[in-house]
Amino acid sequence: MSELDRTIHEPARLRILTILSGIDVADFSFLCNTLGLTKGNLSSHMDRLEKAGYVEVNKTFNGKVPHTEFRISTEGRDALDAYWSSIDAIRSMALPEDDQAEDQGRNGKT
Amino acid sequence: MSIQPVAGNEDPRALVLWTRRYAKSRTMSFLVQWVIIVIMVLLIGLAATVTNRAYVEGNALRYWASVSAMVAAILVLVWFSTSNWGGRLIWRVTSWLYRHEGYVAYSEERPLSTRRWWMTVLGGGLVVYHLAGALLVSFHYLELRHMQPFSALYMAPFLMFMVYWQRLGFWAWIWPVLYALHAVLLLSGVALLQFQGEWQLLNMVIPVLGYGLISILAGHLYSRFALYKLKKLARVAADSTDAEPAKDDRP
Repeated sequence: MSELDRTIHEPARLRILTILSGIDVADFSFLCNTLGLTKGNLSSHMDRLEKAGYVEVNKTFNGKVPHTEFRISTEGRDALDAYWSSIDAIRSMALPEDDQAEDQGRNGKT
Repeated sequence: MSIQPVAGNEDPRALVLWTRRYAKSRTMSFLVQWVIIVIMVLLIGLAATVTNRAYVEGNALRYWASVSAMVAAILVLVWFSTSNWGGRLIWRVTSWLYRHEGYVAYSEERPLSTRRWWMTVLGGGLVVYHLAGALLVSFHYLELRHMQPFSALYMAPFLMFMVYWQRLGFWAWIWPVLYALHAVLLLSGVALLQFQGEWQLLNMVIPVLGYGLISILAGHLYSRFALYKLKKLARVAADSTDAEPAKDDRP
């Protein structure tokens, strides 16, 4: 099994990339508001994703106000698909153990 | 590294679904267009009323002034509908309305065809059809109270085609469906709107604009729900995938 992609595995970046994978484009304000991240926090995550080549950034101006839009790149989409495949594989292996643990819990065993 | 299994709606992948639903049901741009159209229709209606009264009273100055105002209002409406300036104004007002939510767009589902001449032909047909209806009313071949069902015969299929062709989303279907239902109920003898005399035209104008507004508001309400679900899910996803930070994120 391949190693999980560390860039995507971070919860905030995973949510950012998952949201971007479902739409065409989103701006900084939408991601900030939806994810409940601070501007600085979101900015650092977007830098990481951009450096990894997972998102494309388009910076424009609405009058004098800067406006930054993000869209997921083909590499980002492929990486996200690969990440979820890995997660699903790990879950499918972990599930029987969890069931056993649940059974033990119900029976009062440690 | 710990992986917390998540299931059902708590799966972060459901974020995709609710983000798309939210993006597709953002209807504020349609509301802005609706308000502008209503203002222009009211101005045209007011000018038409003044024109009619001036004609009856024989006031030539007021007659030509109101005719000029009516023509100007129609030209402004056509110009606004077709110019880039109108598009930019709608964009700016919409952006301001969504300033606390930001911008998001989902355009993966492109219109079925990029051949815009279909829209022009059908739109032109809509105008010609209603002008023909107005002429039929003028020459007493059609009663004004039957104008709404007459209008619905073209308008409902036209709107349905436009909704389907432009992939506007489920909420947009409310408009043509209610407009067609209104016509069927009128023909069945149900008294829905009872404007008389010079106000009879409102029996058609109110359903056209009213059901459009209902459709827009339904989309907007759904977008509130979708955004609520999206935010909730984003936070649940954060908790459920709160695995240890990746090694390269540790200080």
